Amino acid sequence: MSLLELRNISMDFGGLRAIDSLSLSIDEGQILGLIGPNGAGKSTAFNCVAGVYRPTSGEIWFDGANITGAKPWDLCRAGLARTFQIVKPFASKTVLYNVMVGAFARTDKTDEAEAIALDILKSLHLDHKKDFKSGALTIADRKRLEIARAMATKPKLLLLDEVMAGLRPTEVDEMIDVFRTVRDSGVTIFVIEHIMRAIMALSDELVVIQFGRKISEGKPEAVAKDENVIKAYLGDEYVAS
Amino acid sequence: MTPQSFKKTGLALLVLTALALPLILRSPTYLHILIMLYLYAYMTTTWNLVGGFAGVLPLGHSVFVGIGAYTSTVLWLQWGISPWIGMLVGGCLAGFVAYLIGKPTLKMRGAYFALATMAFVEGVRVIVENVDQLGPFKLNGPRGLNIPPLPAGEGSLLAFQFATKEPYYYIILFMLMGVVYLTWRLSRSKLGYSLSAGGEEPEAAEALGVNVAKCKVTAMVLSAFLTALAGTFLAQMTLFIYPKSVLTLDLSFELAFIALIGGRGSLAGPIIGALMLRPVTEFSRIYLSATLPGMHLILLGVILIVVMLYQPRGLSEPLTRLFNRLQDRICSTKTGGAK
Ligand SMILES: Nc1ncnc2c1ncn2[C@@H]1O[C@H](COP(=O)(O)OP(=O)(O)OP(=O)(O)O)[C@@H](O)[C@H]1O
Ligand SMILES: [Mg+2]
Repeated sequence: MSLLELRNISMDFGGLRAIDSLSLSIDEGQILGLIGPNGAGKSTAFNCVAGVYRPTSGEIWFDGANITGAKPWDLCRAGLARTFQIVKPFASKTVLYNVMVGAFARTDKTDEAEAIALDILKSLHLDHKKDFKSGALTIADRKRLEIARAMATKPKLLLLDEVMAGLRPTEVDEMIDVFRTVRDSGVTIFVIEHIMRAIMALSDELVVIQFGRKISEGKPEAVAKDENVIKAYLGDEYVAS
Repeated sequence: MTPQSFKKTGLALLVLTALALPLILRSPTYLHILIMLYLYAYMTTTWNLVGGFAGVLPLGHSVFVGIGAYTSTVLWLQWGISPWIGMLVGGCLAGFVAYLIGKPTLKMRGAYFALATMAFVEGVRVIVENVDQLGPFKLNGPRGLNIPPLPAGEGSLLAFQFATKEPYYYIILFMLMGVVYLTWRLSRSKLGYSLSAGGEEPEAAEALGVNVAKCKVTAMVLSAFLTALAGTFLAQMTLFIYPKSVLTLDLSFELAFIALIGGRGSLAGPIIGALMLRPVTEFSRIYLSATLPGMHLILLGVILIVVMLYQPRGLSEPLTRLFNRLQDRICSTKTGGAK
């Protein structure tokens, strides 16, 4: 059964159509990768799913319910969490505080929230930095904190927007491990990523979009050979003749 | 001595000193100054619930002071209802008004919210100054309301009037301790976390399940309710209220000044701020009000600029650091001695 389904989503900003009749679905337990050139509309698609924008047309279904136009905080409580491409830590607060804000989505008690947060931090190997001010973290740790906060809300589906951008190769490897940890804990993952090595290794399925339109989908190996995809990334002249 | 017990001892000493002060300071003038200091610390602490934690800048909190003062006074003068009951009624009314203003304005960003709250106080003041009678309620326009004092030397708990300053001192001291405790509890609760998060990064907070606008409205209602209680206290202290005394931007600004200089969003900030700034206001009112009315706001403004230049997060931060250093020194010498 699919956990998330986009049915013919379109999103207009004034005259600009950022998403054009996009349809896709994610099965429970899967990792679905979303790729495409810069400005293709990937983050916009996430923002529609997460309730930041209401799509101009089309429907979004999550966990058997129509969630088109639902508010971000209600979606979070329904089990849909996300990270931001440009990280948004509560910079004046500690790492633990940041994660506890997420944990409060599942409990009203402060000590329970703290316990949940510490658990998550431990599983993501961030617990030794729990008392650091989040504004003082390295970029890799900030990205990790984004994931930890989202995980603290106990999601069924996690939307990850370029959490590997700006990381060094060793940090990318660590992040791949983080993804696996998250997936093994039973969370379905919808991920945007530019780093091909990572997305190829991780995804069960890939969707490629360009100018807001889907140009290819399928298993990573098949997508990598798709002419449309090669054209979109490298230009017409690179297509093998 | 552990840091924990050091803090507790310090706090206990502070509270005991405050409780014992009237036994030492017998002069009504000094007690009056302290009462006003506590009152401002109280109002700034309640302001801080919105202005500090929710990350917005309310510049119209005097409207809640005014609602509290007018409600209890009108109920007492016209129907003989005890100001203690009036205090609660005024608080609820202020909370309701805060809901009505907060609902549409708290969605606005920064400066717009500040301007909207300012405009609201001015609007209410102009209305009250121009009506003598509002429905069944006598407001007496710009002349305000006098509470007839009890015969000299008499006091009555029910009438919220006392022959000496001491009862007022203890009432406002307990009110202040109450809201400080409440703020402390709040800052460690789900609502506190949600407010701080929503104030700092609203979009991220919403993605983490926080209905930011709703939390801000809740904080605003709570803050208004508590602020209005101070209005009743002020009315019973002075026995005379008029629009320019309780419904002015002066008062609204002063609370914001005290909070910003003391340390916005911190527990000690409003108290430190009131301790530093009340004397400035009192002295400029006494010595300069005839020649330069409104001088205290200019002085506060200058102090604010200087503090913001050197301590943008207010005075509570360097003072906390100082306190921590002292604590480290004392705690470590004690354990060092034991070895
Ligand atoms: N709030 C907005 N208002 C107007 N235009 C927008 C808005 N958000 C995105 N766009 C436009 O929509 C298009 C898609 O942007 P989007 O951020 O979704 O791309 P992306 O695929 O995430 O790109 P990148 O890989 O650079 O992150 C771009 O042309 C962008 O300028
Ligand atoms: Mg993007």
